[in-house]
Amino acid sequence: MIRRRDQVRLSVQKIGLRKKRAAFAIVSVALGVIVVVTVNSLMKGVRDMVVNTTWTEEIDKDVIKMYARENPYDYALSEEENKQKAKKRFRFLTESDFETMRGWSDVEAADHPVTVQTLSIDAFASRPRPVTQVRGVPETMLRRYVSNPALLAACSNAIPLVIGERNVRLRMNEKTKKLELAPVVEHEAWMGREVTITLGDNYASLPRFRFDYPKREFRAVDEQDLAAQREALERNYRSLYDGTIFSTTLPLKARVVGICPGNEVLMPLDAAVLCEKWIRQRNQLAALRPMRETDEAVYGSQGRQTPRAGEFSEGVVLVKQGANIEAVAKKIDELGFYAATRARTFENQARAFDNGLRVVKKIAFAFGAIILGLACGLMWSTTSKIVSDSRADIGLFRALGATKRDIRRLFLGESVLLGVLGTLTGLLLGWALAAGISRWVIGFARKAAFDPEEALLIPDSIFSYNLQFCFLLLAGAAIVSLLAGLLPANRAANVDPVKALKRE
Amino acid sequence: MIHLENVSVEYRLKSERVQALRNLNLHIREGGFEAIMGPSGSGKTTLIQLIAGLLTPTAGDVIVSGENLRELDDQQISAFRNHTIGFVFQFFNLPSYYTALDNVALPLVFAGVPEHERRARAHTLLDEFGLAERVMHKPDQLSGGEAQRVAIARALVTGPKIILADEPTGNLDRETGLRVMELLQKINRERGVTVLLVTHDEKAAAFAQRIIRIEKGELA
Repeated sequence: MIRRRDQVRLSVQKIGLRKKRAAFAIVSVALGVIVVVTVNSLMKGVRDMVVNTTWTEEIDKDVIKMYARENPYDYALSEEENKQKAKKRFRFLTESDFETMRGWSDVEAADHPVTVQTLSIDAFASRPRPVTQVRGVPETMLRRYVSNPALLAACSNAIPLVIGERNVRLRMNEKTKKLELAPVVEHEAWMGREVTITLGDNYASLPRFRFDYPKREFRAVDEQDLAAQREALERNYRSLYDGTIFSTTLPLKARVVGICPGNEVLMPLDAAVLCEKWIRQRNQLAALRPMRETDEAVYGSQGRQTPRAGEFSEGVVLVKQGANIEAVAKKIDELGFYAATRARTFENQARAFDNGLRVVKKIAFAFGAIILGLACGLMWSTTSKIVSDSRADIGLFRALGATKRDIRRLFLGESVLLGVLGTLTGLLLGWALAAGISRWVIGFARKAAFDPEEALLIPDSIFSYNLQFCFLLLAGAAIVSLLAGLLPANRAANVDPVKALKRE
Repeated sequence: MIHLENVSVEYRLKSERVQALRNLNLHIREGGFEAIMGPSGSGKTTLIQLIAGLLTPTAGDVIVSGENLRELDDQQISAFRNHTIGFVFQFFNLPSYYTALDNVALPLVFAGVPEHERRARAHTLLDEFGLAERVMHKPDQLSGGEAQRVAIARALVTGPKIILADEPTGNLDRETGLRVMELLQKINRERGVTVLLVTHDEKAAAFAQRIIRIEKGELA
């Protein structure tokens, strides 16, 4: 009986005799493996990156955001759902809808939010994202985020503010003039701090920080650059606004009383309505337009697109602690509005991403399977060719004492060796390709990042490898190549040594 | 040592039935040096293929060293060939991708002998046959005589009782052929190995103690 070590050595020698054909078989196996390995090495990283850079905490767990026309958090609508949505006539939310919702036992507050823009908050200038708008929400909802009621009580002469924090906090390092990730507890430092809201500050939207993508750090925009931006803004706005009115602002005293999730800054609804009215009047005055409650109505395939007085395109519901938020969301659905909860949003995001992922995986694995199938055929033909070319050797080996089993093992060994070599080559090249794609994707994602904080969250690599998967792949390749080599190896084992030696 | 009892070998060539050997009875004694002669197609090579167990007779029995080859399975017959038989071919049959050393050691691979032992045994034989300088040479770097000596060394490496030499001088010039025959004779005398020689060459056959003549599958 031939020893295993000698069997491998003989197989390697035989493969070495037909380098071109063997290389072709190895390359074709490797190609299939490259596709599968590349996709597998990137999928987890891509998923993690998307999950990490997608804000799922924008909606608090007790809050339902309602939309009359469409849910902006619905990312994974099918083609059919999109068609139905386009046909569906919608109605705006009204005060009576909010009244109905307030009547539900699980609901603590329901109202339409008011967005106040444009404004600036002086203390937030040191944050990378300019704060240009504040949302007015029902006071009950605001109170939910207040950890210390005394702070709220101290707000008799200031507007209580709740500021949004994501899971990344940034702070300016005064020495290096760079922003860096701050400890999670730092946001507590905002509590009770008095800030000034400047209504009508059009300069609020000017970016005060620029993100240096290659270095992955923020740099404060210098004064000269800021002045240039301001001048450009004034030049563009002057044609729309009267210069005097354009520069009219209203400073308001406010105090940070709580931290909410997401990216919003919240104030009580009443204050927001007043602020919004002041800004609207200022803008209308600047444009020298007559005061009108609503713009002219626009109609589309879904009906009237613009709300009348007392109609709202969105609303917000705060549910009571311990209540079943999804049951409330379902009731809102039944009223004909789109309800977005944190769970639904997360599900939508996951569904959208997983749908995409599934399609990519299916295509990649189908492609990989086709190539592997072709490679399997090629391995079969390579082993067959090796068997045909080796008839004289087979005859000699049999004459020298090789058993049929030895011959079979020898040729199966060749086939398995080709498969395993192809898989190993594919693994290494697949990893190299995946690492290259990872670098490219990261570079692209950093450049394309909409939000500086998001850019900071983009990892250095989305490449990962799964050893279990590698072993499975190798085992699979060994089995496939074993199957591919079975017929030729059997043929080799049954070669008649007398006939084979006659060829000599 | 070798008994052939009423051995017949028949095969089909296209639709025609060919009788390679008919009712052959033959006894070859242990340690003998015997030559089988006969015209082409007389059944000489078929005879040694039968003795090597590469071919099963259509009728009759081939008994070698007390073993009826018909009764052995593939594993046993392969072991028998490996341990009992040594082949020497007309065209040497040395795989060109192996060195002389590897070629000589090849039968030991199928015997499951560890590598260091294989190499040592092959080395000793090549030394003995005056090929110490040619150990790492490939067959195409050897002369015809050297290649045949390597083939003889390979035939001897497992310590067989029988050497079957099929036209060992057929591909060599007269002088080299004589040297090869002298070597086979020496092996027969000094090691007591039975040598069965198939040849057309009367001069080569003259080295044998007995000449068996076959014609049309029968002893002449």
